[in-house]
Amino acid sequence: MMRFLRRYLWPRWVRSGRVLLGLLSVLAVLAIAVVAPVLAPHDPLAQDLSLTLRPIELRGVYPLGTDGLGRCVLSRLMFGARAAVLVALPAALGALLLGGGLGLAAGWLGGRVERAVGWLAAAWVAFPPVVLALLLVAGGSGVAMAAMLSAWPLFCRVLRAELQAVAGRGHVAAALMLGFPRGQVLWREVVPAVLPAALALLAWVAAGAVGLEAVLAFLDLGGAPDRLSWGRMLADGWEVVFLAPINLVAPGVVLFSVMAGLALLGDGLRGTMGLALPEARLADDAMAGDGP
Amino acid sequence: MSVLAARGLTVEARRRGGAVPVLRGINFTVEPGQVLGLVEEAGAGAAVVGRAVAQRLPPGLAMVHGSLSFLGAELMAMPADEMRGLLGREIAFLPPSPLAALHPARTVGAQLEAHLRRLGVARRELRAKAVAALAGVGVAEAVLGRLPHHLSQEQCQLVLVAMAFAGAPKLVVAEEPTAALDAAAQGRVLAAIQALRRAQGAAMLLITRDLLLAGAICDELAVMTGGDIVEIGPAASVLRAPRHPYTSSLLLATPPMRGARPDLYLLPEPAAGERALAGVAGCRFAPRCPVRAEYCLRTEPPLEGDAHRSACIRPGLVPTIVAQGEVPPPPWRPVGEVPVLALEGVGKAVTTGPAWRRETVAAVHDISLRITPGEFVAVVGEEGCGASLLARLAAGLEQPAAGRIMLAGVDVSVDAASARQQHAATVQMVFDEAQAALTPWRRVSDIVTEALAVRQSRSRVRETRARQLLAEMGMPLALGVRLPGQLGEAQRRRVALARALCGEPKLLVADGLFDGLDAPAQADLLGLLLRLRHRLDFALLLVCRDLAVARHLCERVLVMHQGAIVEDGLADTVFGWPRHEATKALLAGSPR
Repeated sequence: MMRFLRRYLWPRWVRSGRVLLGLLSVLAVLAIAVVAPVLAPHDPLAQDLSLTLRPIELRGVYPLGTDGLGRCVLSRLMFGARAAVLVALPAALGALLLGGGLGLAAGWLGGRVERAVGWLAAAWVAFPPVVLALLLVAGGSGVAMAAMLSAWPLFCRVLRAELQAVAGRGHVAAALMLGFPRGQVLWREVVPAVLPAALALLAWVAAGAVGLEAVLAFLDLGGAPDRLSWGRMLADGWEVVFLAPINLVAPGVVLFSVMAGLALLGDGLRGTMGLALPEARLADDAMAGDGP
Repeated sequence: MSVLAARGLTVEARRRGGAVPVLRGINFTVEPGQVLGLVEEAGAGAAVVGRAVAQRLPPGLAMVHGSLSFLGAELMAMPADEMRGLLGREIAFLPPSPLAALHPARTVGAQLEAHLRRLGVARRELRAKAVAALAGVGVAEAVLGRLPHHLSQEQCQLVLVAMAFAGAPKLVVAEEPTAALDAAAQGRVLAAIQALRRAQGAAMLLITRDLLLAGAICDELAVMTGGDIVEIGPAASVLRAPRHPYTSSLLLATPPMRGARPDLYLLPEPAAGERALAGVAGCRFAPRCPVRAEYCLRTEPPLEGDAHRSACIRPGLVPTIVAQGEVPPPPWRPVGEVPVLALEGVGKAVTTGPAWRRETVAAVHDISLRITPGEFVAVVGEEGCGASLLARLAAGLEQPAAGRIMLAGVDVSVDAASARQQHAATVQMVFDEAQAALTPWRRVSDIVTEALAVRQSRSRVRETRARQLLAEMGMPLALGVRLPGQLGEAQRRRVALARALCGEPKLLVADGLFDGLDAPAQADLLGLLLRLRHRLDFALLLVCRDLAVARHLCERVLVMHQGAIVEDGLADTVFGWPRHEATKALLAGSPR
């Protein structure tokens, strides 16, 4: 598996601008989320009612100013990254495991399992994701759980379709003929082939989860009223937009760049993952005589 | 005026490390009503000529100098919209994979009518013209309302032939038009092409790897290797008295359909890639040539002669190239051994059609067959005769709906779990499309020893076995670290063969192992299988399109027709004295 990753996925990533840009923004957010307590100039919850709605002063005490309660905008942005990561990461990974597992099981086992999973996924996507998440959050589930439950059918359907394209190939039949147990054939011959699609989808779903978290926080749903989240900052900044526009602009820009970064990452991965050969062959099959 | 004329046509591939010539200043003309065959080994560049005519060179390739003119008009300098006006009207194309050339979601009628509409047929007459065009190639009107995947490859190709000739083209460029077809269909499609072409007086450029096929329908033949035309002349003269060692070795590498079974001539090494040839100063065939002189490696010979020209300075030595010996007879076997595979009344039906109109068709029915250990059996038949399904049934990839399958005396149609064990130990299969048959991300040495991975052997053991297998397949050990995508077509088939033979099965099932290979690669693989047979002692069930290949390799031939075995006997008897209509049709379509 390790060798597969090294050879099969690594080389062309590095050369794709989209992937680099996306990775950069994702890694930056992750790093900030981890070291926020060290990096942040202030306690994000500490109020300084004598200095409310300060404008940007890059060299001042509050580099990006303060909000209506005198809280440091920069610190709040940094801690807000934690909320985004804590929702996006478990939601995307959970959806991958749940949806991907169901999708692969359905495609590989076929028959009754396939029909049941197919119906379930179809019924599930009949609800718009945001409405579904609202219902789930209103029902008391966590935001990450809501994001995961609204995203799993995506993995399920995409991976099942990918599997169906791969399952008919000769190397899968050959592995079956050699006597590998069916489960091992799935793991050895099919999973690596559908992995690029799964990883690309992972990035897209993570972007969706970050957005969903912001929407829910904006609507003040599913969490403490004073929680730190970009969505909450947007809602607060909305009220003071004419007095201190930075309160709306800063979380908006951050939210946009993180989601765009993730989307770029997914896009780039889908475009560049695949077999990268050290010696690229001519596009035309008729010319592929370069073997010794 | 020539319909198509190439003068010093030079195409280069831009690659890392500079430009590599793909076509090296070739000259040829196609006169009105004439058929020119471009015969090549894989990678010799003939396919690029076809692309150049359409001005659709693959990415990375560019025409650097020379000229290619159609009825005196230079194609290279032609504006794109004028070019579009030409294609499909004056110049028509026939592709190698007819099913892929038709739109999968539009009916044949819609596509044919759209093409006629573009040719300027009035809307009222569309239907009548479409029916007439189909009648011209012998396809029933009912086909109009169907989607391409409902049709056979033969019908699809006939529809494309009808389309190609609907505009009364001056030139037809046919690239391996019968590559996807069985022998019988090949004969019918070529007959349809020739009839329409003669009636309209169209010229044709036929690009193919099959020298005999080209000989059967071409007026002139041009043999290409390494991006050069090395011999060009009247087809009969080129085939009967070749004046270039390459042509001669191609002919000697093609198995004959009657008479003795001589060993096939093997070139000392496979064709080098265009990159390796870029630096060759002399004759590009010289490194492989059996009659070369020192001089050949240094100076490029000119294409000389009158009507029949060849680029060789020693044409007198060409007749001295001969293959030694004959194919050895099958190894001796004691009588009364338990058959390695026995089918008794096996049948299986497939359901097709949309959910509201399911049709159940008996794909194979009532098949009884015994294969004794060490026996080589070929299955031939028209497309859809059930031969591939028979192979999959024998391999255990499909379960029979009726009848019994016995493997080495054990009934495997009773208990699925033990059947899988029995199958893995007794039968292995080589799959037809060699590229997808090999796991793309696994190295060759890992692929060929997959059978050991099932038993979780240590990596040292696998490494040793991989070396053994590669040596047995006649492949350089250095290839072990490559990925399948870095191998040539013929090498990939060897890897697939090595993987199947790793566990030393008693029966090897192969479907389409030889399809699409050029003559030298095919001769090489045939020789390899015959050698392995004596060393490893396995039986072979080969599903095969080329009758000559079947005859060369296998002593016994089965002919299938509509899901049943209609003839079964010694290869020479079945092909020499065919009794069933299906056999006769197959023989009629094989060029000899």
